[in-house]
Amino acid sequence: MDLSAVFSNLILGFTVAMSAQNLMYCFIGCLLGTLIGVLPGIGPVATIAMLLPITFNLPPIPALIMLAGIYYGASYGGSTTAILVNLPGESSSVVTCIDGYQMGRQGRAGPALAIAALGSFFAGCVGTVLIALFGPPLAELAFEFGAAEYFSMMVLGLIAAVVLASGSLIKAIGMIVIGLLGGIVGTDVNSGIARYSFGVSELSDGIGFVSVAMGMFGFGEIISNLGQTSETKNVEVSKVTSLMPSWEDVKASIGPIMRGTALGTVFGILPGSHTVIASFSSYTLEKKLAKDPTRFGKGAIEGVAGPESANNASAQTCFIPLLTLGIPTGAVMALMVGAMTIQGIAPGPQVMTQKPDLFWGMIASMWIGNLMLVILNLPLIGMWVQFLKIPYRVLYPSILLFIAIGAYSINNSPFEVYMAALFGFFGYYASKWGCEAAPLILGFVLGPLMEENLRRAMLISRGDPSVFFTRPISLGMLLVSFALLLMVVLPQFQKKREILEVADD
Amino acid sequence: MKRSVNFAWGLYAIAAVTANAADVYPAKPIRIVVAYTPAGTTDILARAIGQKLTEAWGQPVIVDNRPGANGNIGTEYAAKATPDGYTLLMTTAAPHGVNPGLYRKLGFDAVKDFAGISLVATVPNVLVVNNNMPVKDVKELIAYLRANPGKVNFGSPGYGSTGHMSTELFMSMAGVKMNHVPYKGDAGVLADVMAGQISLSFSNMPAYTPQIKAGRVRALAVSTSKRSPAAAEIPTMAEAGVQGYVAVAWFGLLAPANTPRDIVNKLSAETARILKMPDVHSRLSDLGAEPVGSTPAEFDAHIKAEIVKWAKVIKDANVELQ
Repeated sequence: MDLSAVFSNLILGFTVAMSAQNLMYCFIGCLLGTLIGVLPGIGPVATIAMLLPITFNLPPIPALIMLAGIYYGASYGGSTTAILVNLPGESSSVVTCIDGYQMGRQGRAGPALAIAALGSFFAGCVGTVLIALFGPPLAELAFEFGAAEYFSMMVLGLIAAVVLASGSLIKAIGMIVIGLLGGIVGTDVNSGIARYSFGVSELSDGIGFVSVAMGMFGFGEIISNLGQTSETKNVEVSKVTSLMPSWEDVKASIGPIMRGTALGTVFGILPGSHTVIASFSSYTLEKKLAKDPTRFGKGAIEGVAGPESANNASAQTCFIPLLTLGIPTGAVMALMVGAMTIQGIAPGPQVMTQKPDLFWGMIASMWIGNLMLVILNLPLIGMWVQFLKIPYRVLYPSILLFIAIGAYSINNSPFEVYMAALFGFFGYYASKWGCEAAPLILGFVLGPLMEENLRRAMLISRGDPSVFFTRPISLGMLLVSFALLLMVVLPQFQKKREILEVADD
Repeated sequence: MKRSVNFAWGLYAIAAVTANAADVYPAKPIRIVVAYTPAGTTDILARAIGQKLTEAWGQPVIVDNRPGANGNIGTEYAAKATPDGYTLLMTTAAPHGVNPGLYRKLGFDAVKDFAGISLVATVPNVLVVNNNMPVKDVKELIAYLRANPGKVNFGSPGYGSTGHMSTELFMSMAGVKMNHVPYKGDAGVLADVMAGQISLSFSNMPAYTPQIKAGRVRALAVSTSKRSPAAAEIPTMAEAGVQGYVAVAWFGLLAPANTPRDIVNKLSAETARILKMPDVHSRLSDLGAEPVGSTPAEFDAHIKAEIVKWAKVIKDANVELQ
């Protein structure tokens, strides 16, 4: 590693990114991304897709810097709604809902938002440095991952999902299985045949994540809150204690932020929608390491700090395969490929050598973008928290309206709105029965990926299941899954796992 | 088709009593439906044409992305739109080539429900192999595949995708057998061919050109009848030994059937003019696409020929969907 070369490249990058014009586009991107991403139901993919056309007429470097800004802004905006109103903007902020929303209900939305911003900033800095130092060799790591490795990783992810639940283990497994079944709907990858679509062509691509998440978290939450008397709720949220985290909060968050960053950087490099695995494996890890795991699910700040850092670290490192190899690792990166193509840049290994100003300019702007996000969002926290003081009779209909708009905008079709409504009723009854939404959503997201990779691995090995055990990375992950399974199951026999009957649930 | 054309003429006759439809067209914004996500090739082409139509006619052109079901959802939507020239469809070789033979039930009729405006562009497919494959050209590949029947894995961006069908066509013409490994989209195939998880793939050229130039995968042939200007060193399939093999991805502009003939003709002439502009030309070349521009009759004939051609490949390979 030639450090002086990296250093001079970074200077080039910062020279590009610090030009007044590029700083402005970076800021506009972060601002627009935050403002649109904070609308319920509109995650980073929808935000970027929506704002993409406004970058078409810009020169390539400002256009890509602005898009990256939009991406960070939208990701952070998604976390904001997760904490404030229990609405995850993307699958990875599902985890933030669990403890972030509870913190909000305890009047600690400010510290939750601040820790999310600071953790994300730290993770963003580490991610940027990693890209600058080890981008190309890290990208090669992705090539070690074939279908067998991805399958084993999903197994690990699903077993970890059980740990997410703070209530009954049986109910958590039940919700994961329902999620897996829901994930089966759609076109079978291997035969092209539509499964459980009942002749509805909108179902042939499966049930959309946004309809499930908006329905289960948004609609469901609103319906169940309507069942409570309005006095209790308004009292609950008006006692906002402080906007900034206390020293204890910061101390408790340092470890989770570091560990979350490490997990996030690793998962971000691997192709596929694995940011979700990054954020909830961080949650699982923090819950396992905690002295008192029962606090999780009831507003533990570690449950916000870790996953949010993991989320943002992987948002940085998923640029590595794109910038160094031209391989998009997910829907957002695929949109970036499109944006680069529109600008006449063919994403591929040559970008780094032929367009060093673009490559290093983007890396520098990542760091600047993260900094801007903190500068932008810390003062906004006060404003976001004010939202919680809006009376429910005004807040709820507006949230419902925004969810409907968000769901409609996915495919410009009312179908997703109906689906969200359907899942809303399911979500309401699920929460009445004490079944949590997060394990269902993870089963729903990971199930199709797991099936796809299982069958692909079997196709490539001509039906020989030993591939999962003979490939070292795959074997390693299966062993960790097994160990985790034992950790979950064994205490069941020792002492009946305490079913937490939380007073307000 | 004939009946619907007659019907269109009938409608036109009624319209002509009051005013010539094309003289006042367009009097309001035009919408181009794209049955794929933003920033894909179809979307980029629709926006490029739309921008130039706006400049020429002073009416905004809106791109309406309605993705899903291999392009079928947006295509069905456009088929049912009012045929007044204000809703158009940027289509591909999937809904108007492969899908009619592939799906037993479609919500639209690719021929009867649409009136061709112009073929917009073609994109070559390229046959790439992993660098460790012991073959240097198509002849060696065929010999290798004959020696190892059904043992080599090929990837495609999806079951029934044009990449899958192009490979089926290659297998039937070369008389070889391979094992199909479908993915969801191009990115997964690309990564796995580079990593050697699968041995080869037949895919849209633009995504592969940088990887080919960087020496990360080996290109054996392009699927077009002529070499691609973007990578002139790669031979055509015919030159490489498979005579008569042509399978290109294409993109074209359609209107719903019964759209007034003179509006269709006006759009067709304008699209052809736009495709000759130097800046549009270079923008499309950057995508790896070759601008075409054709008359409505030529494009209608092209669609019919494509449907017949792919239906035969689908039948021979026995890949029809239930």
